[in-house]
Amino acid sequence: MSLVNLAHVCSHLQNASKARLGLTSIPVSKLHVKLMLGLQKEGLISSVTLGGPRPPLPYLLQASPDPEDMGKMAQEMQEEPWLAYPSERPQISRDAAEEEVSQIANVASEVYKVPIPQNPAQRRLWLGLKYWNNEPVLRNMKLISKPTRRIWLTTQDLNKITRTRASSYVPGLTHPGECMFLTTDRGILEARECVERRIGGMALCRVW
Amino acid sequence: MSVCRPTRCLFSWLSSIPKPSSSASHPRRPFSSTTVRSGRKRRPHYPSIKAEDLALLNQAAETNYPKYDTSETSLLSKRYTKSQIAAIKAAEAALDPKDIITQGQRRTDPWQLPYEDDLAEVDPVTDHADKLSHRDIKGPKNFRRANEVERDEAIAQIANENLAKLYPSGVPDGKLSPKEQQHLEEAMQAALTQAALDPRAIYTSDNPHAVAALADPRHSVVLPDLPRIENRMARQTRRLSNEEQEDPRERRLLQYMDWDKKELRKIRSKTLVVHGVTNQTRMGKIRSMYYLTIAGNGDGLLGVGEGKSVEPEEGRKQSVMSAIRNMRPIPRYENRTIFGDLEKKFGATRVKLYSRPPGFGLRTQHLIFEMARLAGLQDLSARVPGARNKMNVIKATWEALCNQKLPDEIARGRGKKLVDVRKVYYGGSVH
Repeated sequence: MSLVNLAHVCSHLQNASKARLGLTSIPVSKLHVKLMLGLQKEGLISSVTLGGPRPPLPYLLQASPDPEDMGKMAQEMQEEPWLAYPSERPQISRDAAEEEVSQIANVASEVYKVPIPQNPAQRRLWLGLKYWNNEPVLRNMKLISKPTRRIWLTTQDLNKITRTRASSYVPGLTHPGECMFLTTDRGILEARECVERRIGGMALCRVW
Repeated sequence: MSVCRPTRCLFSWLSSIPKPSSSASHPRRPFSSTTVRSGRKRRPHYPSIKAEDLALLNQAAETNYPKYDTSETSLLSKRYTKSQIAAIKAAEAALDPKDIITQGQRRTDPWQLPYEDDLAEVDPVTDHADKLSHRDIKGPKNFRRANEVERDEAIAQIANENLAKLYPSGVPDGKLSPKEQQHLEEAMQAALTQAALDPRAIYTSDNPHAVAALADPRHSVVLPDLPRIENRMARQTRRLSNEEQEDPRERRLLQYMDWDKKELRKIRSKTLVVHGVTNQTRMGKIRSMYYLTIAGNGDGLLGVGEGKSVEPEEGRKQSVMSAIRNMRPIPRYENRTIFGDLEKKFGATRVKLYSRPPGFGLRTQHLIFEMARLAGLQDLSARVPGARNKMNVIKATWEALCNQKLPDEIARGRGKKLVDVRKVYYGGSVH
């Protein structure tokens, strides 16, 4: 778990949002993936996609079903709209309409299919950045724990920090809309979620 | 046992001998070179009142301000509640009628007000008797112009009434001292003038209530004007409306803002930076003055303006006008502080602003303090590490305050739903 790479990611995301990029990539690691999913859950980035050295195609360009299938799909969608989303579960066998349903499911799963290189060194994590009112949503991202100095926070510390007071040499979350991410034994969580669950952990970074 | 005893003996001998009276031929031995001040004749602050005068006073107080009798209290009880009557009685008991007689003054002059008022507070809006409408006049409300006979009659009657007001105990007759004679003449003159000016002398009606209403100021549409002070100082300090309009810059500003003057008067401005600047030309240096002014309404508007001119007053005015024109809204949390911490860099100057809890006050440096005051911020602290160029501090603070990120905007940007729970916790008593 190298915080050096995380530091690089932090500054890269700041630079990318200053340059108004729509899509950017970071090296893949489990920590990065989980943190980026946390950012996405907080609404700070729009998409997290595993891909290769070339950026993945935008959603609209990825795959287009045949025109003759579209009518059938539309009808099916009206009846069972949840089929538009790919599901991990295998299709449980059903009656007569089974084949058509599975066909639609295949189309839906193809939409999200992105070529991933076999070589893990060539894999990149592609992030979609967000902008609102001509301003980047993610403007600042800063490491709290440093590679040379890790900081572990208890629930009491987090109680204070989320209420804008400093604790354990970590300044409070005083900026409007500021988030802090920690790595805990339940995964990477936002500070307020940690407070809710009453768990502590190692502080990673703060975002606002 | 040893040293004290002889001295004690000495003192006891001293105290036993009679003290020399002050009227003795030997004056007191002076302890200083300054001359002795002769004793002040003690005089009371108020003249003492004799017992018989007091009795007269009591009589006058009783006759002028009698206590409520039973019929009056029963009338009061129809109008007021029990607690209100108790309050009235307490107030009556607290005021000694003797004090009103000795300290208060009852006017007996011809220009006295037709209603009771001590005029301790003359308020041009409220200081008049309760207004009456036409519905309060009983009977028909017709008027006609009085003919000459009726007019003279009315004038005579009104003059008599006025004179009776001046001399409640009858007009003095017989031999009068020249002073009294002059007083009487003046009174008659005043009574006649008033009578001639009275509308009852010009119009008449069959209904006596309607005639009385003519002279009653409570029926007047026009409230009495404020007395005008006519002296040199007042004339110099008073500014006429056409003089005020002469400033073309102000007129243009009002036109630009689509304001009238009342709104402009609510704006407060303060010049924070003044210094001289020079322009080096072929001909030589041209000196002019630079002004930086802030303007705000103390309720969420703040502007910064600059002005530069060879004429100092011209430059200052220019900066004030541009500050007012540049006013921008400052978002405030609960109308008292900022939304979270702000940081802004302007040139080499970095300004950090921190939001603070209620009652914290403005604990900032003077420039940011003035800006926060004009913007209507009440709780704020600030830090200016490093360069503290005045102009840059002001501009950085202004930009930071104007470009705050609001929670709603952040929530929209992140696609989150924002709910203000303060309204639940504090019973809705939040801004």
